[in-house]
Amino acid sequence: MKQAKTVKLALRAIGMNKMRAFLMMLGVIIGITTLTVIVSVGKGASAKVMRSVQNFGANAVVVFAGGGKVMGPPDEKTNTLTLEDSQAVMQEIKGIKTMDTAIIRVGRTVKYEDNNTNTVIYGGTVNYGDAWEWAVESGDYFTEEDMASMARVAVVGKTVVRELYGSTDPLGTNIKIENVNFKVVGVLSPRGTSPMGMDMDSRIVIPFTTASRRVFNTPYVSLIRLAALDPNQVEKIESDVTALLKERHHIQPGFPEDYRVSGASSVSKMAKGMMGTLNLFLGLVSLISLVVGGIVVMNIMLISVGERVKEIGLRRAVGAKKKDIRNQFLIESSLITLMGGIIGVLAGLVVSVLLPVMSKGKMPAMLSWEPFVLGFVFSVLVGILAGIQPAKKAADMDPVIALKS
Amino acid sequence: MIDLKDITKTYRKSGGMEVKVLQGVSLKIEKGEYVAIMAPSGMGKSTLMNIIGCLDKPSTGEYRLDGIEVDKMDDDNLSSVRNKKIGFVFQSFHLLARTTALENVQLPLIYSTDELDMNALASAALNEVGLGDRMHYVPSELSGGQQQRVAIARSLVNDPSILLADEPTGNLDTASSTEVMSIFDKLHKDGRTIVMVTHSDEIAQRASRIIRMRDGKVVSDERRAA
Repeated sequence: MKQAKTVKLALRAIGMNKMRAFLMMLGVIIGITTLTVIVSVGKGASAKVMRSVQNFGANAVVVFAGGGKVMGPPDEKTNTLTLEDSQAVMQEIKGIKTMDTAIIRVGRTVKYEDNNTNTVIYGGTVNYGDAWEWAVESGDYFTEEDMASMARVAVVGKTVVRELYGSTDPLGTNIKIENVNFKVVGVLSPRGTSPMGMDMDSRIVIPFTTASRRVFNTPYVSLIRLAALDPNQVEKIESDVTALLKERHHIQPGFPEDYRVSGASSVSKMAKGMMGTLNLFLGLVSLISLVVGGIVVMNIMLISVGERVKEIGLRRAVGAKKKDIRNQFLIESSLITLMGGIIGVLAGLVVSVLLPVMSKGKMPAMLSWEPFVLGFVFSVLVGILAGIQPAKKAADMDPVIALKS
Repeated sequence: MIDLKDITKTYRKSGGMEVKVLQGVSLKIEKGEYVAIMAPSGMGKSTLMNIIGCLDKPSTGEYRLDGIEVDKMDDDNLSSVRNKKIGFVFQSFHLLARTTALENVQLPLIYSTDELDMNALASAALNEVGLGDRMHYVPSELSGGQQQRVAIARSLVNDPSILLADEPTGNLDTASSTEVMSIFDKLHKDGRTIVMVTHSDEIAQRASRIIRMRDGKVVSDERRAA
């Protein structure tokens, strides 16, 4: 039998009952839409995780003061992490290339002339650039002398520049941080968003000593950032630092730590874990829709075979072989699910385009060719599996009885 | 052309009881004959038709069609034989709804393995039954007589060895019956072999040979001068 004719026949049979065809497709549409969203969001998420890890620093280990919280900036009331801790880490842990110790305060008001904005004040050391692997775009970082003299100098991030200066060159100007005058000596190169979703370019870096004694008046450390010599040693350093601080802070087994150690691996694990839960849920939705869709297709096809007994008898009488009848119904069910699959992929791509916009970037999505392949394979597979039983029933009909019905 | 020898057909009913529908039918039909098979209902004429039409197989006996032993063929080969050598006309037309006359007539050609000009063959067949101007009508737009003529065109399209008509006028009024029967007359005149099942004497009188059956056996076989 001519294949093109078979497809044409099947399309006509589908077209004869459009509402029924749509209902048959519905489960497949939902299943494939979800599948497409999973793929797009999954790809977007893993790209985001990659960027995050890159931003975090592939060889970085960060100690945050204060435990408990999953992520986010350290609490300024936490008085647990000290300069002595950071010195001990530097002395006792092997494989550290460089270390930056910082006091961090978020949401502080900064003024330049009549403009003001809120930003993160980061009181760090001269190792800042190396520890963060972060270059200045113009000007320079502060020096050891600036540290020693508690100089009022600042290196500003791109977001701060944009919000305070517009197009003016900030180098050499004076800004007010917590009503203390600072001279801008450098501008940080742009860095983007942190793994926690914070704008890393919204920060001003000042000498640790200045932050500690002139601005915030605190001896306690918010954060210690280490750069490992070898990125493969990151996990070992993480656990070594954790063990060392546990000992120094006299944390009893079973009690929560008052600090938190994160490395690139734990950052990507966390980010992937969040996406993984969502993917598992969506994957289940997709699977259930496809299975239910398949069952619906099978049942309606069985009804359709029952309604078309005479037609089957006639086709057999004029020369259709069993396999012609079987193929006709298999192609019909596969075409229906394939149409559902195509609609599903398109709907899924639309959702994938809208999702990042509606979630304001929290759910990134990446369009790709994979949904088309997956949609095609899964929808046709469902169609064939759902069609087997009805097609067999149609093909095995006795033509004599079918014609008499 | 059709050569049946000692054909029997036994059905097993659901109670396990066996019903002998055909009890040894031997029959030869030559090319160009116009045969009417007459029998009261349930006397095996439909079963005989189905066997001649290769839709059903005899329980015992031999059947040669155009010299081929069809009683030993498997399902796929029987389908091919039906496709090439048999043209069915049914009492209830069996046209596909919402499908044009032309496409209905093309149906047997779809299942042919030969490369054919389906449109040309189908329109020729429709012209033969006088429906050349109704090719793109769907069955619901045609009268009963016209629908049966479409069905006859469908049975002719593959240029079969025999036309098998099962009560072709059973669902038609007198006028339409006459219309359909005159087509069969014409086809007979053109040299077609026709086997028709009917219980109407009036219809049977048009045939060149009348075979009467009773209780699964041929009881009379009467040839008439054309």
